[in-house]
Amino acid sequence: MASDDFQRAALEHLDALYNFAMYLTRNPPEADDLVQETYLRAFRFSHRFQPGTHLRAWLFQILRNTFLTFYRLRERESALAEDGVPTWDVPMFHDAPEESSGAVEAHTDLERALRRLPEEFRTVLLLAEVEGMALEDVARVLACPVGTVKSRIFRAKERLRGLLGDYKKE
Amino acid sequence: MTTPPYESDETLGARLRAELSRHAAPAHVRAAVARASAPARRPTPWLAPVLAAAATALVLGLVFMPMLPRFVHPTEQLVRSVVAEHTRTLMWGSRHSQVIPAALPWLTQESGIGLRQVFAGDDTLVFLGAEPVYLDDRRGMALYYRDGDGHLLTYVVLPFPGMAILDRWRVPIERGQSRYRPALLRDEGFSTWVWRQGDLACFLVSDMVSAEDAERFKDYFVRVRRATDPVPAQ
Repeated sequence: MASDDFQRAALEHLDALYNFAMYLTRNPPEADDLVQETYLRAFRFSHRFQPGTHLRAWLFQILRNTFLTFYRLRERESALAEDGVPTWDVPMFHDAPEESSGAVEAHTDLERALRRLPEEFRTVLLLAEVEGMALEDVARVLACPVGTVKSRIFRAKERLRGLLGDYKKE
Repeated sequence: MTTPPYESDETLGARLRAELSRHAAPAHVRAAVARASAPARRPTPWLAPVLAAAATALVLGLVFMPMLPRFVHPTEQLVRSVVAEHTRTLMWGSRHSQVIPAALPWLTQESGIGLRQVFAGDDTLVFLGAEPVYLDDRRGMALYYRDGDGHLLTYVVLPFPGMAILDRWRVPIERGQSRYRPALLRDEGFSTWVWRQGDLACFLVSDMVSAEDAERFKDYFVRVRRATDPVPAQ
């Protein structure tokens, strides 16, 4: 794919990537940085993109990996800073941290519930249900088998139902 | 909005798609990404190899430059030979030093240079001797003097028709009515007066290189130049 064509095609997914970044970071300035970093990396490593594969999934994969590399690392470092012991639970499927200052408020119970989900669950729901991505593409973004994606979607919805039920009782 | 308990996967998926607010990329992010997508001004592909080759050539040039033949003006080349002869004499003495005028016929025969008049020394410069020399494929004559401070002076005459003397080398010297414009060349820590007398090239070498010595060296030049008249031998 020619460089100009690649960049043009990549820019078509800007809004979707920004939306995903907002739900990951819950903070507009951080979402700005995350998206810009994603595109910088995509343009820098465009030669690694295999034409014929899904550019959209590739871009989402870069964004998520960037988020995990920098943003979650930062969260862990700040959590460790207190007493040297991580405050987060099991590394996989840990609950989302409490909202920090500057975070966008959740307007509905559904948004509140989604934010409470661990990143791995939140991501599969956003990609598969909100973005309408095929399970194979979601698997590529998450770098896991399709079966794992199906399992996570199921468990994410279960967790979401539970949270929504809790809100209804409040 | 009410949330029915145990809603189905399909219903929950539809709610996610319908109820979650979507966040469009702000204009400043769009602009920043667009700027990032602009083709970067990369150096032309040939620039790096050309620069590398140029750097290599430069390094090789610096390494081998001392070994490369350098253009040397013929007069400068001859001055080097004269200085080398002076240095040899300074270190090991003359080989066949002869006393003038007794040996003049023999010297003329060996050097191909005749002396119609010769500076044989005075109260400032002591004549040490004379001998034939062979420098740069030229037969000639060398006369040696020593001043009161022990400076050795070597006067050399060689055949060199049309020897070029650059104007920038010349130094004007005036002593009374006499005016000269010999060249002063420096090489290997020695000063050499260079001048022409007909088809002969004349040299007066000494280690007098300081500013103070320069004036004295001018005086020695005038003494030798006035009193010496070399000619090609018939």
